[in-house]
Amino acid sequence: MIPPPAAFFILAAVLFVLGVLAFFVKKDLLTQFMAVEVMLNAGNLAFLALAKSLGKAEGQVIVLFVITVAAAEAVIGLAIIVLIFRQRKTVQTDELKDLKG
Amino acid sequence: MTTFMALAPLLTVVFGALVVLLLEAFMKRANREPLGYVAALALLAAGFFVIRSWNRDLDYFGGRLVLDRFSLLLIALFVILGLFVLLMGLKYAARQGMNLGEFCGLVLLAVAGLMIMVSSTDWLVVFLGLEVLSVASYALSGLKKTDRTSSEAAAKYFLMGSFAGAFFVFGLALVFGTSGSLDFSTLLAGGVSGAGLAPAGAVGLGLILAALSFKIAIAPFHMWAPDVYEGAPTPVTVFLTVGPKAAGLAVLFRLLVPLLRNEPFAAVFGSALSLMAVLTMFAGNLAALRQRSVKRMLAYSSIAHSGYLIVAVIAGDGPSLVFYLVVYLFMNAGAFSVLAAMSRKGVEYTALDDFAGLGRRYPWLAACLSVFLLSLAGFPPTAGFLAKFYVFSGAVREGHVALAVAAVLASLISVAYYLKVIVFMYMKEDQGEAAIDQENPALYLVIFLCLFGVVQLGLWPGNLLALIRQALSAAF
Repeated sequence: MIPPPAAFFILAAVLFVLGVLAFFVKKDLLTQFMAVEVMLNAGNLAFLALAKSLGKAEGQVIVLFVITVAAAEAVIGLAIIVLIFRQRKTVQTDELKDLKG
Repeated sequence: MTTFMALAPLLTVVFGALVVLLLEAFMKRANREPLGYVAALALLAAGFFVIRSWNRDLDYFGGRLVLDRFSLLLIALFVILGLFVLLMGLKYAARQGMNLGEFCGLVLLAVAGLMIMVSSTDWLVVFLGLEVLSVASYALSGLKKTDRTSSEAAAKYFLMGSFAGAFFVFGLALVFGTSGSLDFSTLLAGGVSGAGLAPAGAVGLGLILAALSFKIAIAPFHMWAPDVYEGAPTPVTVFLTVGPKAAGLAVLFRLLVPLLRNEPFAAVFGSALSLMAVLTMFAGNLAALRQRSVKRMLAYSSIAHSGYLIVAVIAGDGPSLVFYLVVYLFMNAGAFSVLAAMSRKGVEYTALDDFAGLGRRYPWLAACLSVFLLSLAGFPPTAGFLAKFYVFSGAVREGHVALAVAAVLASLISVAYYLKVIVFMYMKEDQGEAAIDQENPALYLVIFLCLFGVVQLGLWPGNLLALIRQALSAAF
């Protein structure tokens, strides 16, 4: 049996909060980036659940756009993380402290 | 009128970006300056289409992309911004180890993102514009690939930006769930009919506002901004301090002004925004006071200016908002281009001590920077004074007296650090030998144009103001 859309929406909200928590708790770029991906996918799941319960197709269309955007963001983000790793041999955010004042 | 011509400005810019990226592959690394001219040509063509579309109310994609006069005005602003940034980058790229081809292509794509953002009232389109802009600007801020600070700026901008983007998506889901549509107007209709929004919708709107505040750099979401603005290559900093701010404020303005006329919304979002405005102005100005780097000081000053701009949004004062944005473009780009001029191959002078005695060594540069700083501080007869005057008097007229008083106090604080730079330039003895390379005609053209803008708009603002009033009278 498939659970009702409301259950999926609650799951999405829980995932989003977990993503936010992980973003603040973790201290390296890669894991923080994964936390952001969890948040984005929580948004997708919420869209799908709401689209199902409202009976509107727009909610499903927007998910396709968000997936595309997340892919583009992943490309540029991983490139930046590789650049940081080449220069500093680490991806810990605590080491990013050249800029301050 | 629904016509394909509504896409013309956008398509020219994107096409220009693709051509530049393609041509780059066939050109020698040593001389890639023609790419800059190709990119500038694309922007000029877009500007031509903007002027042609004026007063025609073109739209496309079932009304999801609208070129009304408000968006055309902002697109024109972005075209000018793009031109300034390109011209500043022409020589800068070669000197500071930046690939000019990538720079030009990415600037054009980012301008396209800005254009998409301001010309729609559909959430999905605004989100896509925002992401086109963001992805291009993450790459732009890390373009000095060998420079540690530049890539650090890129990493910080990327992390915070994508975090804010996720907030935007989730907020959008909540708004979609309560209003059942992705158009601003449906949400507004729910708010205006007095029925109000369901709590989930209000939370969603709050998440979206937080995400936009990240982009505009409003306190308490401004923590990334000084690092990114300082670490990014100087022409890119100009883009980041003006572009996303203007587009984000335009979206906020379209979205919030109808909502804020309404009682339950004004109580919650109005007071939250006022608090954020005051926080932003004081956080930016107080932090700027203790900076030893002029670039970082200007970064904080740009945060403070977001605070003044939000005051115009709260007062619902469209003409003052757009006028301030135009003036801010000229004075901010001017100040940063003098900063970009203070460089030679591989070196940039940004510390306050490097400016000591500049008035004797390079009198013209020092004089221009003084005018820009006085304008940023809001001294008459520069344009900065009029811009602030219109915004603050608009706030008083709409009954936000406390907000206007706070803004005036904050700009009094700002005078201290702007004047500090001028004092350093004219009243301190030379310390270091900051020898700068003056062979950079495009950059001096930008400085001249900014100077012209700041002085001209300060003395004769009438034409521009009439144009802005005409543009906004129809839409709002």
